Amino acid sequence: MKPTVVKRDLVEDYAIDEGVKKLTPERIEKVVNDVIDNETAGRLWTYLNTCIHCGLCAEACQWYISNDRDVSYAPVTKVKDTIWPMIEKKGKVDAEFIKRAAVISFTECSVCRRCGMYCPFGIDIAYMLLMVRRICARLDMVPLYLQDTVHSHAATMNQMWVKPDEWIDTLQWQEEEAQGYVPTSRIPLEKEGAEIMYSVIGPEPKFLAQLLGNISVIMKVADQDWTMPAYAGWDNSNMAMYSGDFEVMARVERLHHETAQRLKVKKIVMGECGHAFRGAEYDGPTWLGWMSPPIPLIHAIEFYEELLRTGRIKIAKKIEGPVTVQDPCNVVRNRGLGDKLRYIMNAVCEDFVDVSPNKRFNYCCNAGGGVINCGPPWKKKRVEGNRIKAEQLKRTGAHTVVTPCHNCHSGIEDIVDTFKLGMHVKFFSELLIEAMDIPANLKA
Amino acid sequence: MYEFVRGPLALIAFIIFFAGSIYRIAYMLKGAKKDKIVFSHMSWKHSLASLVHWLIPFNNQYMRRRPIFTVVTFAFHICLVIGPLLLLGHVMLIQESWNISWWTLSETLVDWMTVVVIAGAAFFLYRRLSDPVVKNVTDSSDYILLAITVLPFITGFVAYHQLFAYKTMLIIHILAGEIMLIAIPFTRLSHMLFFAFTRTYYGSESGLVRHSKDW
Amino acid sequence: MVNIQKWDWNTKEKMVADTTGWPNQFEDVQEPYVSPDGEKIASIVKQGEGEYSVCVNGETWEEPFEKLWSCRFTPDGRVSVMSSRDMEWTMTVDGEPWETAYEYIWDPKFSADGKLIVATVKQDDIFGIVTNGTTWECPTELQSISSFVMTPDAQTVAAIAQTVPLGQADVDTYYKGTWSIVVNGKPWENNYVNLYGVAVSDDGSTVAAEHRAAITDHTILVNGVPWSEMYSCTWEPMFHPKKNDEVTAPVRQGGKWYLATNGRIVWDRGYVNILNPRYNVDGTKIAAVVATSFAKWTVAVDDKPWSCTFGECVLPPCFDSQGVTAVAIARDSGKWFMVADGKVIGDPCDNIWPPVFSPDGDKMFYKIEKNGKFYIAVNGKIATGAYDMLWDPILSTNGADVLIRGIEDGKYYRRVVASAAM
Repeated sequence: MKPTVVKRDLVEDYAIDEGVKKLTPERIEKVVNDVIDNETAGRLWTYLNTCIHCGLCAEACQWYISNDRDVSYAPVTKVKDTIWPMIEKKGKVDAEFIKRAAVISFTECSVCRRCGMYCPFGIDIAYMLLMVRRICARLDMVPLYLQDTVHSHAATMNQMWVKPDEWIDTLQWQEEEAQGYVPTSRIPLEKEGAEIMYSVIGPEPKFLAQLLGNISVIMKVADQDWTMPAYAGWDNSNMAMYSGDFEVMARVERLHHETAQRLKVKKIVMGECGHAFRGAEYDGPTWLGWMSPPIPLIHAIEFYEELLRTGRIKIAKKIEGPVTVQDPCNVVRNRGLGDKLRYIMNAVCEDFVDVSPNKRFNYCCNAGGGVINCGPPWKKKRVEGNRIKAEQLKRTGAHTVVTPCHNCHSGIEDIVDTFKLGMHVKFFSELLIEAMDIPANLKA
Repeated sequence: MYEFVRGPLALIAFIIFFAGSIYRIAYMLKGAKKDKIVFSHMSWKHSLASLVHWLIPFNNQYMRRRPIFTVVTFAFHICLVIGPLLLLGHVMLIQESWNISWWTLSETLVDWMTVVVIAGAAFFLYRRLSDPVVKNVTDSSDYILLAITVLPFITGFVAYHQLFAYKTMLIIHILAGEIMLIAIPFTRLSHMLFFAFTRTYYGSESGLVRHSKDW
Repeated sequence: MVNIQKWDWNTKEKMVADTTGWPNQFEDVQEPYVSPDGEKIASIVKQGEGEYSVCVNGETWEEPFEKLWSCRFTPDGRVSVMSSRDMEWTMTVDGEPWETAYEYIWDPKFSADGKLIVATVKQDDIFGIVTNGTTWECPTELQSISSFVMTPDAQTVAAIAQTVPLGQADVDTYYKGTWSIVVNGKPWENNYVNLYGVAVSDDGSTVAAEHRAAITDHTILVNGVPWSEMYSCTWEPMFHPKKNDEVTAPVRQGGKWYLATNGRIVWDRGYVNILNPRYNVDGTKIAAVVATSFAKWTVAVDDKPWSCTFGECVLPPCFDSQGVTAVAIARDSGKWFMVADGKVIGDPCDNIWPPVFSPDGDKMFYKIEKNGKFYIAVNGKIATGAYDMLWDPILSTNGADVLIRGIEDGKYYRRVVASAAM
């Protein structure tokens, strides 16, 4: 099979460009075969022996559609240009091949699993691309910024190099901010036996601290018995899952779940993030041998749905004007929270305008799967590679798009900027804070 | 020659087909066990749901979106499996050899089914040559597999209608069928064997583990 | 160790404090903590804007603080809390702040006798370890401290610390190693890519940690010397309770987990996972949480797994006081079970806390939660009334009496019950 003809702008990435120089044919062969023989088994083998090369997966991919149906972006092409030759040639592929495989798997596929739903055989194409990433990770061929994020996970057990004191300090600062709205707001640290452990992703204390203040107000209004860990284990995010560093992934997830066990909580509620949910609910536990998290994990969408449905939180004034939503792949297609997301959107918005396609059929934001974490060098391709998302959002005529996921949030913001959509991008909790009723006895 | 291909060779082909299929499925199951999560993720309920949505035409949005492909692929696969299986001539041969038989379809109907298979194959060939995505991932093996699949039908059609050299055609037809049988377990024609497994695994994982749907 | 014989084991019941009025007295009352001897109950309370104090048995400290967090009793019954005044933080014990204040202070740990309080501090962006107000002297300017452990007497403190500054996205420096182990202020000679699971022998002579050199290259370091074998992954090492030169850790090879001692595989069965191994008291047995296959969790004792498995998880095991019976808390179908030697003890609960054992090892006493109420259970049977809040039971030295500390209807009771009667 001839390699696919690809046209791409030249992108400089220090880690990839330096990494490729250090590859030797022996090392490539050893790693490829070790991963294929020892880290994959029935699924990969069956997928390879079942794929009939029909190309029906192409239409699933936002990269493919947005790039004017450039065949090099079709999911099956990404498999053809990566894992097929690796297996066919028993690892005898060259350094440039590995470089291209790294670029494909890390920066041209958001492992969103939409294509799996288009395959008549149910071949999990994203799984195969993750195995390609695994091979690249073991060959030190991970894009610089993604690798740096993984280094942060490995060194600090959080995504953003947040130091232990900065974490607690930020929570205490945000607690004070929240007390400006509701004087008894609190972020209870290390409260053993609380009902809920609330966990977030590293970027919240780093860049979006107000979300921590918001949650403390929401928890107070909803009268929840909750806590947050003061020590490592508070971060539920996991870029190591996406870089293919499954050992670090597992270490991070183990700490997160053992922190919940240590605090003796009944459940973990996590903030608005999709990949973190996937890592904490599925990929991490699976590697560790847990069918599901040992202490049940609830995504923010489910949590807010329950609070609104049961009347623990009442809405004082709904958000005016048309508001639309982005379905984060990892909690909607890969978790089935599409209906609950619509329930909460309708609960706080006067005029919720749905997107089309929606729910599990919705397009990925193109930032997920670690793609946005590959950083500035790869941004242009990522944003331009999701024109259909811009078109889809534009059709709604909404003034605001709600993204209950951090990667979606950043990715959609880039899309809104680049395609000049003139929309606000918000987390659901930001709308909820605006719309919810704060009982008189709690007010400042 | 006819006696050889119709007798011992047919037996060998059937043995290779059945034994090979069993071997390949066993190999797959062994691999699935090594994957450690696969069996824990399987669910009868979600497997069935997935099969219902993918084995009934137009029962999921992807099929509805591609009406022509859906019609062709269902017609092709149904005719491919049912036609030869319920052809009077085939059943008679099996009865002669092993004294088992079953109900058959009218020869005219099977003849039309053969045409459908050939037309379907032509459609797939056309797609391979014209659709840029498919073309890009097509290599000689794909053409060979298509040829292996369609050749028994073309030769069967020619032989049945006695268009020329009936006896030779018949031998070629039987040989082509035997090649196909032997090829199924050991080439990507094994999607015939694995479809049920990949489909139900994906359905189970989507439903049981990810609380979503795969259609 | 604290001499618990000196505690009051004669008063059968004492209502130490009635906390029902506290919420009216203060703007906000945080969750209470009780002293080990049960004589005190304390909560951080908010007295006004930026005015916090600790309310102990109904009395607040004289001078309020701007902020307080982590109210915990030391083993010898003093209230410790991290406190802030004028934007500086320190440790305050029974209302008295340490003389020195810091940019920040966190992660307090106590010596077994409660006399020493050790915590992580940051001052002028340099991280350190402080013991009773004295920061260790370290020749290296530590950029961070991710965790620390110490001997029971707190005389030896070992921390995983960042010894080399690291710029943004500087992968080259990172791979050269930016972390080391610092023992009582003295860093190990080398720097490492990543270090985890630091452990110290009880006598303080030996320190071990996991070393992650690269994605699938892990090993165990003992006083800076690596094991000869590399593994694709490891979990935290532990010391033999009697031998400071015997280090054991779960290690992963070929996709399976084994237990290795000093670099040699000692559990060779191979598991989907091995977590939290624990020695018994004299070091003759090891129990660990294992997954025998995917999502089948149990405990293995000396590489022999129990026959019963649990679908969700098993918490770190322990041995009874005689070191014979292994005990663990397991979860299946959303419920918690107490399990001893592979047998489920008592009914499923909404939550179970680790047990304490009678000196002969025959009885175990532990806190459980059922339908929002808390009880002490003894060998699977509920042995007390329902409490709204309850702390772990404490046995007298001879095991004759059990100290029960709990809140009923807002009243905090200290009760002493004969263990034979439970």
